[in-house]
Formats: sequence, C-alpha cells, structure tokens
Amino acid sequence: MFYMINTDCKTLDYFQELLAEPQNSLLEQAVDEGHIPIGYTCSYVPVPLLSVDRLVPVRVRAPGVAGTEIADNYLSSVICSYTRSLLEFAIDDRYDLLRGWVFVASCDHLRRLWDNLGYLKKPLFNHMLDMPHKTGEAGEEWYVDEVRSLAVNLSEHFGVDTGAAMIEKAVTEHNVVLALLRSIGELRKKDRPPLSGFDFHRIVMAAQVSPVRMIEPHVRTLLDEIAGADGGNEPRARLMVAGGELDDPEYIRAIESQGGIVVADRFCTGSIPGLEPVTLSGDPLADMARHVFRKTMCPRMMEDFDRRVEKIIETVKEYRVDGVIIQIVKFCDIWGVESGPLVSALRDAGIPVLKLEREYRLSGEGQLRTRVQAFLESMGR
Amino acid sequence: MSDQIIFIKYSILIWLRIVRLGLRHGPVNMVREIRRYDWLWYLLKVNGLMRRMVRGRAGLYREAICLVIYTVVCNIGDLLEGVFLHPDRLIMNEDMVPTEIARAMGLNTWTTEVLGILLPMLDPIAMEEYIDASENEGIPPDICSLPKSTMGMALKGKLPDVLAIVASNLPCDGGMASYELIEKKLNAPIYRLDVPFNFYNDRATRYFTEDLKKMIAWLENCTPGRMDWNRFRDICERRNRMAELEMEIWDMIRTRPAPLAAEAVYLPHLWHFNICAGSEGSLKLYERLVGMCRKNLEEKKGAVRNEKYRAVLWNPPFLHFLDIFSWVERTYGVTLIIDSMTYNSLPLIDTSSPDSMLRGMGNIIMQGPMARHTRGPAENYLDDIFRIYRQFDLDMIWVAGHVGCKNTAALNGVLREMCREAGIPLLILDYDLSDPRIVTHEGMITQVEHFMENVMKAERLAP
Repeated sequence: MFYMINTDCKTLDYFQELLAEPQNSLLEQAVDEGHIPIGYTCSYVPVPLLSVDRLVPVRVRAPGVAGTEIADNYLSSVICSYTRSLLEFAIDDRYDLLRGWVFVASCDHLRRLWDNLGYLKKPLFNHMLDMPHKTGEAGEEWYVDEVRSLAVNLSEHFGVDTGAAMIEKAVTEHNVVLALLRSIGELRKKDRPPLSGFDFHRIVMAAQVSPVRMIEPHVRTLLDEIAGADGGNEPRARLMVAGGELDDPEYIRAIESQGGIVVADRFCTGSIPGLEPVTLSGDPLADMARHVFRKTMCPRMMEDFDRRVEKIIETVKEYRVDGVIIQIVKFCDIWGVESGPLVSALRDAGIPVLKLEREYRLSGEGQLRTRVQAFLESMGR
Repeated sequence: MSDQIIFIKYSILIWLRIVRLGLRHGPVNMVREIRRYDWLWYLLKVNGLMRRMVRGRAGLYREAICLVIYTVVCNIGDLLEGVFLHPDRLIMNEDMVPTEIARAMGLNTWTTEVLGILLPMLDPIAMEEYIDASENEGIPPDICSLPKSTMGMALKGKLPDVLAIVASNLPCDGGMASYELIEKKLNAPIYRLDVPFNFYNDRATRYFTEDLKKMIAWLENCTPGRMDWNRFRDICERRNRMAELEMEIWDMIRTRPAPLAAEAVYLPHLWHFNICAGSEGSLKLYERLVGMCRKNLEEKKGAVRNEKYRAVLWNPPFLHFLDIFSWVERTYGVTLIIDSMTYNSLPLIDTSSPDSMLRGMGNIIMQGPMARHTRGPAENYLDDIFRIYRQFDLDMIWVAGHVGCKNTAALNGVLREMCREAGIPLLILDYDLSDPRIVTHEGMITQVEHFMENVMKAERLAP
C-alpha cells in the first residue's frame, strides 16, 4: 500500500541510523574533536548562533522512549509527552554529551521542563530565551536583544567567539545546508516525487541533530542520488502534515502506509517555512534573530492566526495538496486550542482536514492507519 | 437570632438591587435580555450561595461575608446596566487585564471570564453546557475549563456584543489561545498585551508600559472612549487606599485566632481588585471590612469559633464548591487565612504623573497574583508559597489541584519535595475549576478527610 519509490538509496539508511539515538555518531565525533554540543527544544532558537566557533546545536529528542514514570512524578501526567520524555531521558543521562541547553519561553510545558530540569539535574549552562508573544517591531527588537544576551552568555561561559564574523560564517554554512534541503524538498512538488515524506523527514531531522559541517556532504550526496530518480507509483493522495513537535519520521511513515504521500509539512521540526535561508545585511546577529522571529509561525504568537492559516493554504496550493492532517501532541494547549478555529478556517477554504491527537512516542499505529484510511476515503481517494 | 437577622437583611438588600436593575431597564427589555442571556436566571440563586457561605459562621465574620456578597451583587448590577443601557461604550476585557484604564476612558467593561468564575459559585453545574459546547467545537477536553467555559459562551452567543476586546498572554497558554476563537466569534477588534517572561526589571516595565500606551491609543481609535488622566488618578488613588486597607487586614489576620477569614478575605480581593478596583463602592467595602476585623481583634474574637489549623489556599478557589471551607471549619477547625489570588506583592501605584501611573499599573498586571505565578520561572510560584506560609503563621498548605492547570501541575513534584523537606503538611486537592463532573464534591471531601486523618492525625470536632 506504501507509495513505492524506485530508488535504492544507501544514504537514506545512514540518515536513519543518525536518528536512532538522542546523540548520534556524528555528534560523538564532533565531541572527540573538541566541539561543544548545545541542546535546544524549540524552533525559536537561533540555531546558527549555536554553531559558532566550537559550538554544535542539537535538537533534543527522545527516540525510543519507553515510558516517563519518573518525569510524570515531577511534570505530572497532564503535561505534553514530548517534555516528559525529554525530562525522563535527561534524568537517565541520555544527553550526557550536551554541555548546555537553550530553552525558549515558548509554551507552559517547555518552561516547566526548564524549571524541573533546573531542579533535578541543573545543566551548567541553562539559558532561557524570553520570547515575546506578539509579532511587530517592539517584539522583534525585544527578541533581537534576547539573542544578543544569549550570544554574550555563550561567549562568557564557553569561551567561544560569538562575534559578527563568526556568526556570519555560521549563518552561511547553515544556509548551504538549508539550500540543499530545500532542493530536496522541491522534488516533492513533482507529480510522482522521487522520495516519500518519510524519507524527506529522515533527512530533515538528521540535519537537525547533527553538526552542520558533518551532515552537509551527506545531504549533498543524497541530493545527487535522487535528483534525477524516477518517482514511484501514482500516490493515492497528496497530503500535508501540520501541527506541533514531530521529530519521529515513523509517524509520517504510518500516515503514508495507506498509499498517500506527505508532500508538504508545517510543523516545528519540518521544512516549511523552516528551510528559508537567512538574508545577511550587515548585522549577522540581528539578521539571524529577525529571520527566526519572522519565519517561525507558532500558535503561541498572538494576533498571528490569519498569517498561519494563509501559509497553510498557500502551501496546499503550491504542493497541490489534497488534504491536510493536523497532528497535535496530547495536552498541548496552544495547538489544542488553535486546532479548533484552524480546522474551521481550512474547511471554509475547501480543504479536507483530519485532526489527530497523538502521544510523542509513536503508538496506536492501528488506530492511526484506520483514521488516515477513512480520511482518504472521505476525499474520494 | 441576630445572625439570622443579618442574613435576612442582606437577602432583602440583594433582592432590592436585582429589582432595581429590572426597573431601570424596564420589564419588557429585561424579558428580552433574559431570552438572550439565559444565564441571568443563575443570578437569582445568589441568596442560596449566601446561605451556604454563612453556614456555621457567626457574628462579624458572618456579616462580613454577607456584605461582600451583597457588594458583588451591586457591582454585577452596575456591569449589567453597562451592557443593557450603554452598549455604545462597552468593551470586553480579559480577567488579567484590569479595568481601571478603560473606566478612566469612560468605557464600560465586561470581563470575558466573569461568568465562568461567578456562575459555578451560584450553581455548580452552570458551566457544563458551555464546556460541552467548547469540546464539541474541537477544543480538547484537557484544556482548562475556565477558557473552555468562556469559549463555549462565545460559541453559544451568550457573551454581550462589544466594541473591542483587550486581552493578554496571561495567565496561561490555554487562556491566551482561547482569544483566537473568542475574537472570531464576537467579530470584534482585539488588542493583546504582552507580558515578558522575565518581568522583574526596568526593561520589561518599559516594554509593557509602551504596550499599555499603544492599547490606550488603540482604544481611542476604535471606541468613543478618551483617556482622562485625572479620572485615572482618582481611580488609582482609591485603588491604593484599598490596597492599604487590605494590608491592614493582612496584619490583623496574622494573629491567632484570625479575626476574619476565608470568603471575608479572599472574595473581596477576587472581585473588587479584579473587576472594579478603585471604585467608590469597593473602597467603602474595604473600610467596613477593616472596621469589622479590628473590632474582632480588639475583642480577641476569632472569626472561626474553633480555629485549630491555619491554611493557605494556592491557586484559584474551588469555584463550584466554595462552601468546602465552611465545612472544613466546622469539621476540623481548619481556617483559610489567605489565598494566592489575594497575595498581591506590589499593590501601590505612584500617581505623580501619567507615565508613573501606567508604570505602576503595568507592574500590577505583570506582577499581580496568578500573573507572576503562571509566567516566569518556578521561583515566582514556589517562593511565594513559603513566604506566605511564614508571613501568616500557617500550619498547612492547600493547593487547589485543578486538573486543567498544567502550568502549576508541573510544579507539584518539586513543591511536594520542598514541603517534605521543610516539614510542612501539603494537601494537593485534585478537582476541576469549573466542572464538578471531573471530581465530585464527595470526592473532594474524601481527599480532605484522608489528609486530615492520615497526615494531620486530626479528629473531627464535635458537632
């Protein structure tokens, strides 16, 4: 039933390996070479800043988390399972390579993770970015100042150079990888894309958990391998996945198990609009901060609902999407409330929508497949 | 006998205020309003609430509670007159955005969440239909039931039509996000105030004060309201006086036995500081409460006849089961001295200039109770609990463990360990703020009984 691809690509298997553990072999290699991994949990973190000098950014995940018994005692069982899983892994020393964490005051759940981590296992560097809840000039300038403070703190704590030249270099390197990923993402616009949504998200996630300089050659190789490849059979439906944190490509695979293909995404760890490059215009730090502030479209931002809806509708048209799946991690307040009016707005625009609540860890696959199958059938696919 | 007379007196006064509203608006118009706002029927149950509140309470304590309830009714009457008689000057404000500025602009306000707070007090099941409406619209059941109630009211067309809405990012993500839906349903322009994560610094004060200025300019643009700084000064000065009086009460209730307690302490703050701070009626109420409190203190009379344990309630009160405290007073002698919503750490506003007033008001919004507890780092929440414990010479901490409040639930583990270390008895009472179907009153009582018997080793008082 899967959308079948005609390529036999070894690099994809390598990306899969990189996602098996919270800290992969490339990260270990980087540490051996004297690099300093910094974990982060939110798309509002200016990632290139964590790449300057010897720093290495790592999007923190909890792959294969089996349970959150200890974390539940502290965070309670009504907090989203992403944050509980991270705390469980942190308590279990699964992030032992990380030398620091950068959080964003993005939602109640992540803020309380920061609090509990500080109480239970305080990292030597545990920075909280004070993110405004409003777009607009005042909020943007506030955020730029916050990023400046982060740069100073990183420099003072780790003795790294966070000067303009270093930031510019890091931004340029990031832009290169983003351009490669974008080129791969563009292939999904084809009638029969040469890679599935599952494949694409393995690549995107691997890039977020590996040092930029080390992952770049692999992404380039993969692009060369698949750029001219043929697509698979005619997909049953072209789907878009939207929502919050989704760092396990297996979830996309489960969605695609019913013959549809995920050709577009708009979630925290996804590619739209996450892969847009930073434009440099003289002050690299401010350019980077403004870029992150403007392009990240999270429902935690007030007065920005219409822009978020428009972005999804625009993506639906651009990628010729047949239906949108909104996936929300159970207990997420901001996506939970947003999803009500969002579903209505998309349906009003004539777009079929399926809303799924899920746990962070992939579970209830049978139910998921049934829901997706019914959704495809409801679209006449 | 005199206790019974007090109850009858205030029951009559309450009815007179309700009748006055009907007469001012006209019977035909009132019928029309009742057809649209069917929740108005619940307001007629206020004397039932008062009867439950005064059970087992006597003397000035009883009178203080009756007085507070009466003043709340008077204020609701004023608010409803604003809705019915002057809709051309009506705006809606979120409960964490004080009404002082709008009132200084000559606008009438309707606090969006006010019914979600008030109606469960009058009838525990009042919000169920609105909570269900919200969930039927796709709002997840795990979201806090207060925003769910409010969204449900918006969905069912039970909120008044307004010229504009002012809201903020307080107090939590669920509450903040709910305004996307409310705004769409009411089809009214909205201004959102943004409180930074770290607000104990000049940078945050400047940022937020500018936000308030923009809000005023925005309101002047989309309503007939115009900022009257002299009126604002009067309101702030009366508010300051209220805060001073409240601090006098705090000083007095530190004494064992406390001369006033429970609803006589927290209900005035919950209503009068959030809905109508700086009004003449609110100031008069506090003057009278101080007088009653002082009289009891001078006569060495405790509000609660047999005060054995002194407690703080953290998080909002049990809206649909307010009388749990009169029950626990009678049953175990547990006296609620103060609560987190009353514990205002920065009450006074510098009224020397428009800027200083806005700065003061801004800091009150950012650093007010609940606002500071649910935003910012855990210290904002935890340190206050232990500070209040020492300041009021308490014996135990009660946490209203509202299942929809994930923000605070995520600190229960840390709080539990800190209390254990400090040897402070802690009761985390699981319930839902507005929905008694989640945990019944019997279930809540059972939790209290287990705590009192197993942790406090307390015996029930003789009836």
